[in-house]
Amino acid sequence: MSKGEYIIETKDLNLWYNEKQALIDVNLNIKPNKVTALIGPSGCGKSTLIRCFNRMNDVIPGCKIKGHVYYHNKDMYEPKVDAVEIRKKIGMVFQKPNPFPKSVYENIAYGPRVQGINNKKKLDEIVEKSLHAAALWEEVNDRLNESAIGLSGGQQQRLCIARSLAIEPEIILMDEPCSALDPIATAKIEDLINELKKNYPVIIVTHNMQQAARVSDYTAYMYLGKMIEYGETKKIFENPKEELTENYITGRFG
Amino acid sequence: MTAKKRQSLFFNFQKKYFKENVIKILLIIIAIFSIIVIFSILFFLVRESYPLPTDIWTFLSGEKWRPTSANPQFGAYPLIIGTLLVTLGAMIFAVPLSVGSAIFISEIATPRIRSIIKPIIELLAGIPSVVYGFFGLIILVDWIHDGFGVPTGETWLAGSIILGIMAIPTITSVAEDAINAVPRHYKEGSLAMGATRWQTISKVVIPSALSGITAAIILGIGRAVGETMAVLMICGNSPIIPEPIWNVFTPIRTLTSTLGIEIGEVPFGSGHYHALFGVAVLLLIITLIVNISAVYILGKIKEKQMALGKKKKKSRISTEILYKIKRGFKAIIILFLLMFCYLIGGLVFSAIIITIGAILFFILKKISQKNIQKISFTIVIISIIIVLSILSILLGYIIFNGSGALNWEFLTAPHRDLGRQGGIVTALLGTLYLAAGAIAIALPVGVGAAIYLVEYTKEGKITKIIRTAADLLNGTPSIVFGLFGFAFLVLFLGWGRVLLAGQITLAFMIIPTVLRTSEEALKSVPQSIREGSLAVGATRWQTIKRVVLPPASPGIITGAILGIGRAAGETAPIMFIAVTFSAFWPTSFFEPVNALSYHILVLATEVPGTEAKAAAGGAALVLLMLVIGFYLVAILIRNYYSKKMKW
Repeated sequence: MSKGEYIIETKDLNLWYNEKQALIDVNLNIKPNKVTALIGPSGCGKSTLIRCFNRMNDVIPGCKIKGHVYYHNKDMYEPKVDAVEIRKKIGMVFQKPNPFPKSVYENIAYGPRVQGINNKKKLDEIVEKSLHAAALWEEVNDRLNESAIGLSGGQQQRLCIARSLAIEPEIILMDEPCSALDPIATAKIEDLINELKKNYPVIIVTHNMQQAARVSDYTAYMYLGKMIEYGETKKIFENPKEELTENYITGRFG
Repeated sequence: MTAKKRQSLFFNFQKKYFKENVIKILLIIIAIFSIIVIFSILFFLVRESYPLPTDIWTFLSGEKWRPTSANPQFGAYPLIIGTLLVTLGAMIFAVPLSVGSAIFISEIATPRIRSIIKPIIELLAGIPSVVYGFFGLIILVDWIHDGFGVPTGETWLAGSIILGIMAIPTITSVAEDAINAVPRHYKEGSLAMGATRWQTISKVVIPSALSGITAAIILGIGRAVGETMAVLMICGNSPIIPEPIWNVFTPIRTLTSTLGIEIGEVPFGSGHYHALFGVAVLLLIITLIVNISAVYILGKIKEKQMALGKKKKKSRISTEILYKIKRGFKAIIILFLLMFCYLIGGLVFSAIIITIGAILFFILKKISQKNIQKISFTIVIISIIIVLSILSILLGYIIFNGSGALNWEFLTAPHRDLGRQGGIVTALLGTLYLAAGAIAIALPVGVGAAIYLVEYTKEGKITKIIRTAADLLNGTPSIVFGLFGFAFLVLFLGWGRVLLAGQITLAFMIIPTVLRTSEEALKSVPQSIREGSLAVGATRWQTIKRVVLPPASPGIITGAILGIGRAAGETAPIMFIAVTFSAFWPTSFFEPVNALSYHILVLATEVPGTEAKAAAGGAALVLLMLVIGFYLVAILIRNYYSKKMKW
């Protein structure tokens, strides 16, 4: 990482879906090689915010953005910036596992292929490495050529993580990656996140506060499109500064 | 990450983006094509209809259509009336049967029976109109002639029955979709309160599906108004107004059949020529109005389902007044029906009707809900049985009658002695050429436009206009395409009657089918898959090519096959621009060909003798098998993949 201690910085970020404002003046600095959790009640804008970090909101009709998102100190919303290049550097894992209706192998090889890597040997290497990194290799190495749709939900989600690792991203975004999974599959993904953060900064949206407490180093609490509080996870959970944050956290814990 | 690689991050002047941009521009052009086609059709028809040989008022209200007499008269009024009457008759026949069938398929049939009957009804839609016409001409016309003792069976009644049969599949399948789309919890809510199944159907399901059923009927009307070949073959074609107006045994003539009969022989540039294009404009306007209203209603339903509509305005009329209006409306309808009875049968007849009505009314009040349900279900089941028996009579006759003529020579030899001897190979080949050429043009255009609409645009004005244009093209009568091809390709470009003109015209006709089915197929690919691809840095076109198109291709292929089937069965649009009754093999795109549908038309209506009718029967069977074969393959592909594709 060149200069600057933050990998992603937002400045006065505002976002609208048609007339409805979903993000209001969000300012947030993400540190490298840490796990940052975005928490908050449903509809608070946390998923919207994470989708700003790899310009996935571009895909949604009626979405307008004002403000800045700096990636390596360059604004990724400047007109001449290419969203495709951004997404090659910033991988994403979605709420519901979304493997392509292709084989396990083809799912992982997809990213490298669209970037022009067609060497079979190289692809084999990437597929194996990515599956190892996603802790899935042991389970699927004998059925690489079977359809990914046949995997269990948890396996599908780890496959999607492997898929995003295959393009060697600099950051990994996870949008409620465990919300469609059972507790055992969830535990596996959380272990995986702890592994991944050695090499990648991870930003994770979650509505499960125990999860945020377990896996993250930093936590941001959002409410009604605004960034309420952001700091070290320990501080946020043990000693929140804002009343809103405290209400949310204590309310959930009962 | 090297510094150099990171630099390239913020510039997109790479080679592959050139490709992306070219593809996008190409797709935009293709998508706008359907708008261009509909406007150029309008333009050419209007251009050729100017100047009309009479003033517009005489043209619309004149009661004499005598274009070739020494003192020609061009009054299209009897043609308009003929079109309206034959359509009205068809609807009286088709609407109850279709709605009954739709109710049966979606609400009463077991899943197993539904899975058999639904494709059968859809197959009915695939039977070429010339085959319906042939059946009507050989069987129905005779029945009417003998059964009612009228001088000729070629009458309004015959036309209405055949048009009704042809409209049944359209109305049934659209109405069935509408009934199916009623949310389950509506039904469950009604059943949970102790309503019978029939009460639920009649009080909850049908009212919520009513606008969809209305649209289905309007589409059926559009189909009937635009039909050419069947009415041309069996309505008698006298441009007269029935006397009295409800005399169903009068031969009548429609707008479409006038075009079908006269355009091939009219001297270019004469008053008659311009008058015929005037008729075509009239026809186009009528069908456009009919189709726009159907599209509008269906669009409203979709908006409602997706809950995209703006907040509902509160009705300014109170429910009480609304209720009174409804009652008044009912009273007016009953009064109207009574007047109708009086006109038909006089005082005694209407007295009988009133008594029967009153008795029925009181009986219905008395009997239990359980019995009402029984009676209603019986009526619904009877209607589906009628529809199925019509289909089996039709198919049975075509197969039984045609199989006698089938043999190796019939399939492999060209025809001799005006088609009485020899075979149909040139017609078969011509049909295949026409269909293949049409799909070769329509597939890239239709799929390209669909990709643009689904993948590249945000929903807005432009997509709406393109979609509406495609829907309007879809509802445009095939003969109008024929006239457009005639004016533009045959005359304006000076090609004459050639294969290529037929292929292009048929392509224009099937583009909407291909476009709409491809669009549905693309939309059925979940958005999350696209996002998954974009999130690993694939470009838009890479995503479409590698992730979206593969799972969408069965749907696209289905649409293409439906298009081929439609092109292979058509007669009206090609009969004066691409085909002759030729026994020779075409050697280039700029020669006329024979076609199966045209072969049947000529043998059935112009060549005398029983041998000709037998040969027509054989050709009808071959055409039917060909077209039904295409439809069957399409339906099988769709069913196979709809089971397999689970996301």
